[in-house]
Amino acid sequence: MTTAAVDISGLRVSARRQEILRLERLSVERGEVFTILGPNGAGKTTLLKCCLGFVPLSGGELVVLGERVGRLSSAGLARLRRRVGYVPQVMAAHSEMPLTVREVVAIGRTGIAGLFRGLGREDWQVVDEWIQRLGLGPLSRRAYGDLSGGEQRKVLIAKAMVQQPEMLVLDEPTANLDLFWREQIVATLEELYEQAGLTVLLVCHELEVIPACSGRLLLLEAGRATARGRPDEVLTTERIESLYGSGLNVVHCGGRHAVVPTGERQA
Amino acid sequence: MINLSNWLPVIWGGTIAGGSTGLLGVYIIGMRIPFLGVCVAHAALAGAVFGALLGLSGQMLMLPALAGAVGTALLLGTLDPQNVRMDTNVMLGLLFSLTMGLAFLGIGLFAVYGISDNDVRNLLWGSVTLCRWRDALLMTGAAVVELLFVAAFYKEMRAIMFSRLHAAAAGVRVTFVWTGFLILTSAVLTVNFQTVGGLMIYSLMTNPAAAAFQLVKGHGRALVLSVVLGGVSGLGGFLISLAANLPTGAMIVIFSSLLVALAAIISRVSRGHT
Repeated sequence: MTTAAVDISGLRVSARRQEILRLERLSVERGEVFTILGPNGAGKTTLLKCCLGFVPLSGGELVVLGERVGRLSSAGLARLRRRVGYVPQVMAAHSEMPLTVREVVAIGRTGIAGLFRGLGREDWQVVDEWIQRLGLGPLSRRAYGDLSGGEQRKVLIAKAMVQQPEMLVLDEPTANLDLFWREQIVATLEELYEQAGLTVLLVCHELEVIPACSGRLLLLEAGRATARGRPDEVLTTERIESLYGSGLNVVHCGGRHAVVPTGERQA
Repeated sequence: MINLSNWLPVIWGGTIAGGSTGLLGVYIIGMRIPFLGVCVAHAALAGAVFGALLGLSGQMLMLPALAGAVGTALLLGTLDPQNVRMDTNVMLGLLFSLTMGLAFLGIGLFAVYGISDNDVRNLLWGSVTLCRWRDALLMTGAAVVELLFVAAFYKEMRAIMFSRLHAAAAGVRVTFVWTGFLILTSAVLTVNFQTVGGLMIYSLMTNPAAAAFQLVKGHGRALVLSVVLGGVSGLGGFLISLAANLPTGAMIVIFSSLLVALAAIISRVSRGHT
């Protein structure tokens, strides 16, 4: 059995009789921050959802934390999901009920605590600890719906972290956030990697979101892997221009990456 | 001087109906699916109509009504909005129109076969003033089961209410708990439905929860306040109707609506001061 956090071979995913994702081989090592980058519709979210068993495979093998995802029962999937902290792309259409930040974070402990028993003192300690670690203490009694988009995103990361996961899966965690909140989230990811040392699978379509601790990157395009390797090797100006159009210059600085328009953009 | 022994089951039934539907409302309104109540009610009606056509009457109509409501709940529970690519409210709309169509088809068949539809009409409209101890105790039993369910799945229901995707991602057995909740909703609404009627059920399911959400934050507080406001709506509406000699059901509905308005005003005023 593989020791990798994620091991993919010959993975196929189809929707409406069309193959939307095809990955021959991919291995994400434990303790690695692995980024999946690509334009909209490249299949990034589908790949993450496959890892959690939310999207069925039409072929191939996908092993996550030693479990063959395609062969798991619904109970087995629930057990696997408890080991993976997931921050989805779409913000939750939060409930009409004004749940507090503390209650939303506690959702992460719900599956782990098991059926027919409430959250115990230890569960709430973990919840409060992560609320403090992510700087959400002053907001803990506020209603989740009253928070800004960036604050909500942090709450969802805290919710994922209270699962004490072996792997954190983040789907465009900075989408629709301003520069301040984007950097807050990236800094949070760096901290989580340094403090918790867990495996992180990060999906994004902006180079600026890739944290310096991300050692490897997979470039997805139209459901196919087009490049993989170290971010500064993969993210070349030529490759980015072929993806997003000409007149773009890629800058690498201090382990971070950015795209700068040159002003010579052609339609 | 009123005869308390006659009115006691009515008071008790109204209060229990308010409290138990107020509790369901926290989740139904919390998940923004108020149509669920109407859908389940019509499924129960369709079940009762076809039960009556098969020769059942009186309390026995509860069985096909329950079967119709629970069948619809099971169908809803197993349909995952992500898999069927349809919002829950749209699914509810489709099922509502289907069950209503079936109910009216059945009602039409009463005339064709020359059978009396009085029992079914009573089920459709109901009247809290006709509530007797047998009905009140049945409603109390349903409320106790409901309380036990919420106590057992308190944290799971909180997660599902926030988002079914987030709950599933946290390893919660969403389909199991959600289907259980839908079956419970069907049973509680069916039991209350034939005594207090569809309109009152709908208002008691919506208004106390909506009022509670205006006044408090947090799952537990909203749950307790919604149950209390539901009970107060049932009891208060009844007392007003008695004092003013007005229709009881209508007064309960109007009183619970006024409570929502009052809660909204209190919420605005208190926000203005913070």
